[in-house]
Amino acid sequence: MTALVELRDLCIRAPDRALVDGVDVTVLPGRVTALVGPSGAGKSLTARAVMCVLDVSPGLARGRLRYPALDPEMDWFAGVHGGGMRAQERLLARTRGLRGAYFTYSPQAASSALNPGRTIGHQLAIAIGRRTDAPASLSAEIRRILDQVGLAHTASAALPRELSGGMAQRAALAIAVAPKPRLVIADEPETGLDPVLRRAVVELLVDVCRDEGAGLLLISHHASTVRRIADDIVRLRGPDGEEGGA
Amino acid sequence: MSNQQPVVSVRGLHKTFVQSGPWPWSSQRAVRAVQGVDFEVQPGEVVALVGQSGSGKTTVSRIVLGLEEPTRGEVWLNGKRWDGVPEARRRSRRVAYQYVPQDAMGALDPQQSALEHVQETLAVLGGLARVEARDKAEHMLARLGLGRRLHALPREMSGGEQRRVTLARVLALEPSLVVADEPTSGLDPDRRESVLEALIGNLPDHAGCILVTHDMAEARGWCDRVLAMLAGRVIEEVDLRHAEPRHPYARVLFDPWSGPVPRGPLATTGCPFLPDCTAARDGDAARCASEVPPLAPQDDPTHRVACFVHDPSSPSARRSR
Repeated sequence: MTALVELRDLCIRAPDRALVDGVDVTVLPGRVTALVGPSGAGKSLTARAVMCVLDVSPGLARGRLRYPALDPEMDWFAGVHGGGMRAQERLLARTRGLRGAYFTYSPQAASSALNPGRTIGHQLAIAIGRRTDAPASLSAEIRRILDQVGLAHTASAALPRELSGGMAQRAALAIAVAPKPRLVIADEPETGLDPVLRRAVVELLVDVCRDEGAGLLLISHHASTVRRIADDIVRLRGPDGEEGGA
Repeated sequence: MSNQQPVVSVRGLHKTFVQSGPWPWSSQRAVRAVQGVDFEVQPGEVVALVGQSGSGKTTVSRIVLGLEEPTRGEVWLNGKRWDGVPEARRRSRRVAYQYVPQDAMGALDPQQSALEHVQETLAVLGGLARVEARDKAEHMLARLGLGRRLHALPREMSGGEQRRVTLARVLALEPSLVVADEPTSGLDPDRRESVLEALIGNLPDHAGCILVTHDMAEARGWCDRVLAMLAGRVIEEVDLRHAEPRHPYARVLFDPWSGPVPRGPLATTGCPFLPDCTAARDGDAARCASEVPPLAPQDDPTHRVACFVHDPSSPSARRSR
């Protein structure tokens, strides 16, 4: 199976210390890789590095990043090491077309990440527009995605403030999978949800990714979640060397 | 413990909210948020209110604090009637009953330092003189591990530190009841522990505490008793140090991966959990569909479960023993 992303020996530095040192991440199609570790271990930094979003100075010190399913040889981090913010900004510009298409990001607080002024249907239409091939009928495609995440078709006309917390989480998930990405990166999608809803949302995320054959990189604090659903686990060490509880 | 006067005593609590539509002529809808809740909190006891979003736990805690009036039922605090008492007479009693909010950042004044927050509370509500208030505030903040952060503004503090300031402000008043509404939400597991340690470890000896939480590990690790709520009712009351939850819904709540996820919707007559229940046997199903199961004491009378399958008086429960 060709990996969707292969990150090797990632090292990101702040002026006085290494924020992430020697991390490897691989995500395969249809599989779940979990990123666990105590707070401050660099989970979010690593996930952002997978998307070529590097915004710490001096930043990337070491590491190779390949998207083998896109180009088996290319190292996207080539020439960025030691180049500081300028080189990192150039990388960000060069990979703009990949974000929201090859991979998508499902954020922590769904309700605040949705655009408050646009209906869910409108936001889905924009996300679907990032695909390389346009669907035959946009409205039918929106209905299909809403079905897939368990939202009623009427949610299409709703503004985010009209949705409950669980529904907003589902809508954010629908928007993350709508571009038919190869890789979904979910940063603690269960934050703030009650235990039953937490399981429902994570299970849905995994099911939708598997249905679409997409890989999932999941950041989670919850040991029980990770144990149940992850195929591979990447453990990051905390600033003082401790390991995460998961 | 039972001969002491309870800090909180709630009897037959009901709360119905009326939702109206956008127009004056729109029909009104009654939302029954709390439907018959009884419980007590003894001095020195920490009681967890757990349940999914919308189960009524926040409404119950707001009624206990007098922030909402019950539709029916009674609330007694330290042996005195609390609900229905005019605010002018409640005012002087309120200082003993304190609330820790969920959103610490929103509850703090962006222009006041940690010390000023606690000092002002002690001066205004505690009636202390300026110097005395300052000393006591410094002492309380130091106890909560903020001794070096006295002059930090909220935006300069981490999420855990902000919460500890809200705790210091409450604990410095030496209340007899603290109601904490998800005081650790949004924090990672290590910081959650430190916030709970600060709260529960520094409660005055005879204070009761109600902890509203989503996090079952917190309820298990820090509370003397857990009240699990579903659809406005308590469905199980259990001391997790001595027993495991028995109600099928409480078991899902404590280990959501243990069985199928409840899909809802909840039943409107009989046991609300029946549509998703895997425990109801043929013999019970008719009764579960028609009657709301009462909280029935188990072998240990402090463990109560609202489920006909676990009701010692029900024929099927006797069979299954």
